[in-house]
Amino acid sequence: MAGQTIIPAGDFRTSYAADTTVFPTTTSRNAMIAGIALTCVAPHVVNEYVLSLLIQIGIFGIAALGLNIVVGFTGQISIGHAAFFGFGAFTSAYLSNRFGIPVFFCIPLAGVVTAAVGLVFGLPAARLKGLYLAIATLAAQYILLDFFARAEWFTGGSVPASAEPFSIFGYMLRGDKQYFYVVLAYVVVCYLLVTNLIRSRDGRALVAVRDHYLSAEIMGINLTKYRTLSFGLAAFFAGVGGALYAHYNQVVSNEGFGIDRSIIFLAMIIIGGLGSIMGTLMGTAFMVLLPESMEWLSVALRDSPIDQFLGLKNNIAFLREMAIGLIIIIFLVFEPDGLAHRWRQIKAYWKLYPFSH
Amino acid sequence: MTMKTLLSTASLALLLGSTAALAQAPIALGHLTDYSGPTSDVGTPFGQGVADTYAWINKSGGINGAKVNLDTVDYGYQVPRAIAQYKKWSGADKVAAILGWGTADTEALTGFLAQDKIPDISASYAAALSDPTGAGGKAKPAPYNFFYGPSYSDALRGMLTWAAEDWKAKGKSGKPKYVHMGANHPYPNAPKAAGEAIATDLGFEVLPPIVFALTPGDYSAQCLTLKSSGANYAYLGNTAGSNISVLNACKAAGVDVQFLGNVWGMDENAAKAAGAAADGVVFPLRTAIAWGGNAPGMKTFTEISKMSDAAGTAYRPVHYLAGVCTALYMKEAVEWAAKNGGATGENVKKGFYQKKDWVPAGGEGICNPSTFTEKDHRGTLKVDLYRMKVAGATDAPLNELVKNGGIKMEKVKTIDLPRKPDWLGW
Repeated sequence: MAGQTIIPAGDFRTSYAADTTVFPTTTSRNAMIAGIALTCVAPHVVNEYVLSLLIQIGIFGIAALGLNIVVGFTGQISIGHAAFFGFGAFTSAYLSNRFGIPVFFCIPLAGVVTAAVGLVFGLPAARLKGLYLAIATLAAQYILLDFFARAEWFTGGSVPASAEPFSIFGYMLRGDKQYFYVVLAYVVVCYLLVTNLIRSRDGRALVAVRDHYLSAEIMGINLTKYRTLSFGLAAFFAGVGGALYAHYNQVVSNEGFGIDRSIIFLAMIIIGGLGSIMGTLMGTAFMVLLPESMEWLSVALRDSPIDQFLGLKNNIAFLREMAIGLIIIIFLVFEPDGLAHRWRQIKAYWKLYPFSH
Repeated sequence: MTMKTLLSTASLALLLGSTAALAQAPIALGHLTDYSGPTSDVGTPFGQGVADTYAWINKSGGINGAKVNLDTVDYGYQVPRAIAQYKKWSGADKVAAILGWGTADTEALTGFLAQDKIPDISASYAAALSDPTGAGGKAKPAPYNFFYGPSYSDALRGMLTWAAEDWKAKGKSGKPKYVHMGANHPYPNAPKAAGEAIATDLGFEVLPPIVFALTPGDYSAQCLTLKSSGANYAYLGNTAGSNISVLNACKAAGVDVQFLGNVWGMDENAAKAAGAAADGVVFPLRTAIAWGGNAPGMKTFTEISKMSDAAGTAYRPVHYLAGVCTALYMKEAVEWAAKNGGATGENVKKGFYQKKDWVPAGGEGICNPSTFTEKDHRGTLKVDLYRMKVAGATDAPLNELVKNGGIKMEKVKTIDLPRKPDWLGW
């Protein structure tokens, strides 16, 4: 199950600090630092298209991380996550357009405002569980979406709102190459924050609520507080992700924050691994790259002998959408514990190689 | 196909490819289409028209000997996908110009287009895209946006002008009631303010708008509202697919109202799908004739149509013809640019200003004359109004229905709107 680690027999810890360390070995710590350093080089190596995909993985990865707090760590359900993502996007655009606040500050501010909204919509979680909660969060999705369409003072109504490009102290960042570092910085900070959150007293409380709410309550954990808090935290990261998204595109339209996007966020964390921080990023990468690779496939298929034989033509576009759905189903059947689990298995395999059974 | 023919076609293709490459670097154009989204009903024929035109242009030697690389992308009517695609077109896969699609995405891109100097001839006719300098004061400047045909606002102004006359001609008394119907989306909303303003001026009573989604669905509730409101003239702001649902639901509810269709709101396919419910809808036509009509340009259009229909039997709806006209305008602008300093975005923009009452070669008698100037991108203010006539069952294939008069578009009136400066941009 999620959160499970493969620790060989005889490897025991003698202090709390050792038990809660982020990196179990020096190698894993160095590998992570090397990984981040390598990612820093990316804008100078990869082309603009790959760069835009990396940025998207970063942005959606932050929002998906928020959802993993609610679903993966606290065991609640939310199918309105995209609405919070959108709220963050509109808030950041609104703050910078209306009040002239530098975008640098708008992004975290948007996170805070969205967190407040998330707390309000998280209130039903104090009383509802399971499917009932799912429907309550679905309501949040529709209420916010309708708000986007109608609150012209805030979102510009049905006309897309414009968002300023990212700037720090008068210096404006233009182009994906520079923006990549902004997103990377946020990814590193957000993932560190959540990793640390889970190690903390509050994080353990969230996990306790997930594992058995009654036991958690008996141990003195305030269920109402932690359930609502998890929604607030989720909305915070959704808001930050949404704000990054707004300033990346420099346009915010009220499309793209619908239930379909919420489901994609859920798919990201389910595929990555519920309750796994690294898995969130893996799942996001999977869900961003899947439609793109299907697009490459459909381009390759166009006017090919198979296309001509079957007379597919414009139907390829629909086949692509169906293939994406099919792959997700197949993936869930064969990989129910997510990519994070598979990754651990691969690591364990090589650790014991060639003596693994 | 034998090995020999395969080999010979391959070598011929190679030869053609290499000579073209020697002759001139290919011209890259971006083509944004909706083949799978909520406006795919009209996006498909329009996009096909554009794609066929460039296939035909390439077959007949390209633009000044340069091949056109048309990058056709289906973005499913989703603004974020259009923006992602635009980033590619303005960056790595640089294009000289774009043939765009929807209102929301084109309006979202306007600022970027101006910044990157990439002209975009869109299938969105939102009036906000017709003010290149922002002098009208109603819209942000859109210096690199173009479209072929009357703007949504001007088309609606034309229809309401006709409606006012129609009301009088029918000898009815009292104030006619007008209502705007459509999704809460930039596209149906684009002409709302303009329509309601001129309706008030023309003596209509303007009712609160009725909202229905861009996708087909059950709109009985909207029709009951329409019925109880007592509206006489209703504007359908959506595309054909959802309008069909409304027309059917309103026929079932027994609503007696004259529907005024948006330029994307009615076509032969929609009339076939809606059957008798589509009978009587008045809508503007962007081309001088429909498919199979008599005009010198029809020969070229037939050739173009054969690019995706080798047998030449397909009936092409009005949007296909508009797509071909749009593509031909862009082709001539690019052609002018290629001859005058190279096919860059800035030059292509200038290419649009070269002719007065411009009819692109091959579109004679079909594409309506258009004039673009640096201060005014309203190509035309002529609104040709037609009425859809549907007689009997519409089960037969479309080309038969049109041939035997089961589906007929009857000319109602041509409204020549004045080029008012204060109508620019809304």
